[in-house]
Amino acid sequence: MEELQLIPVKTRILTPKDNIVDAIEHYAKGQIGPNDVVSVAESVVAITQGRAVRPEELNPGILARIMCRFVPQKGSMSSIYGMQAAMNVEGEWRMFFAMLLGMLGKLIGRSGLFYELAGAQAALVDDVTGTMPPFDKHIVYGPDNPNGVAEEIKNRFGCYGAAVADVNDLKRAAVLGITSGLEPHKVAKILIDNPFGNASQMTPIVIIKNYAQAEARVVQNS
Amino acid sequence: MEFLAFLFIVVGIVLVVLWLYIVRQGDAEFDFLVDQRTEFALNELTKDKAVFSCVVPFLNKGTQDGTIMDCYPRHLMPFEYYKGCHIQSRLTLESNRRDDGYWEALIVFKTTGDAVVLTLTFTDGNGDIKQALAGIPDMPIDLVYQVVARSDWYISKKRLVMSAAEIQAALHRAGAEQ
Repeated sequence: MEELQLIPVKTRILTPKDNIVDAIEHYAKGQIGPNDVVSVAESVVAITQGRAVRPEELNPGILARIMCRFVPQKGSMSSIYGMQAAMNVEGEWRMFFAMLLGMLGKLIGRSGLFYELAGAQAALVDDVTGTMPPFDKHIVYGPDNPNGVAEEIKNRFGCYGAAVADVNDLKRAAVLGITSGLEPHKVAKILIDNPFGNASQMTPIVIIKNYAQAEARVVQNS
Repeated sequence: MEFLAFLFIVVGIVLVVLWLYIVRQGDAEFDFLVDQRTEFALNELTKDKAVFSCVVPFLNKGTQDGTIMDCYPRHLMPFEYYKGCHIQSRLTLESNRRDDGYWEALIVFKTTGDAVVLTLTFTDGNGDIKQALAGIPDMPIDLVYQVVARSDWYISKKRLVMSAAEIQAALHRAGAEQ
């Protein structure tokens, strides 16, 4: 019986000059089978889409300067540049009202409202230091159209499915984009131990081998 | 008219409260403690090359976390001052050393710090580095660092001096140890 297996794939540093699907073909094509799910790290997908900006390229406005002061220090939007980067994508006033309502929500015991209302990028922006060198000096946005990227990977390699995932060493995993038929929470659970590595491991692709069989077994047993 | 005045007062109060909040919150503030650095030590000596290094602690003495996004040394030895040998300088974080001269952006939590290892390489084209170093004068070195925190990014620097006497002392110590 084929067991579920995670195979991290080492690549060179991928840059905005790369295409993530071409990179998977170059580094992993021979290892991908029809029962496998191919997962890729969201920050690397974003970088290959050119979605990274240096703080020096941003001009923070007064709203970013004030609002970043209300974000806890560990948050990516606690610097004026992280905040301005998110505002540039989601809109300054949307972020402003999301923060206002988020604060009011906290007063009545409802937390997390800011991130719900501020838009997806507010939660996905990585401030400087959030990504491995040489992108440690960049603010990296979340990927564009992650579902589309996942579908493109599946179509190119004929695999069982694909996912774009945001995983870290703090046992947090979220699937941002996934092919139809796969359940995001199941893939996230498999990736929870962060097989990507977020530092210099340079393994932005992880092949989940035999996913189809494992899923079939679960269905049979239930 | 009264309503307008009331509105102005409310907006004014809100702005003052925000300003007070931001001032009270403060920001990261970095200091390279050059007066607490170690003496330069001789790491390597060949006929034409001498490598010295020292450790310089730094501290975020501010009230907020901050990021040192870049950090590099700038030694100041123009040929008008001394042209006895070629000099290269680089630094790395002591707790996470790299040998490529690249500074990996680093979050430094408030009231904490780390240290940098500053390395100077002296090369003499004539193949007698000891002779070349015998005439070298004191050399200022700026530690240049770029900070990103709660306010606009900035570049600052702190100067230390590698004295001629210190170079000779390091050479002497290394000679005595051999």
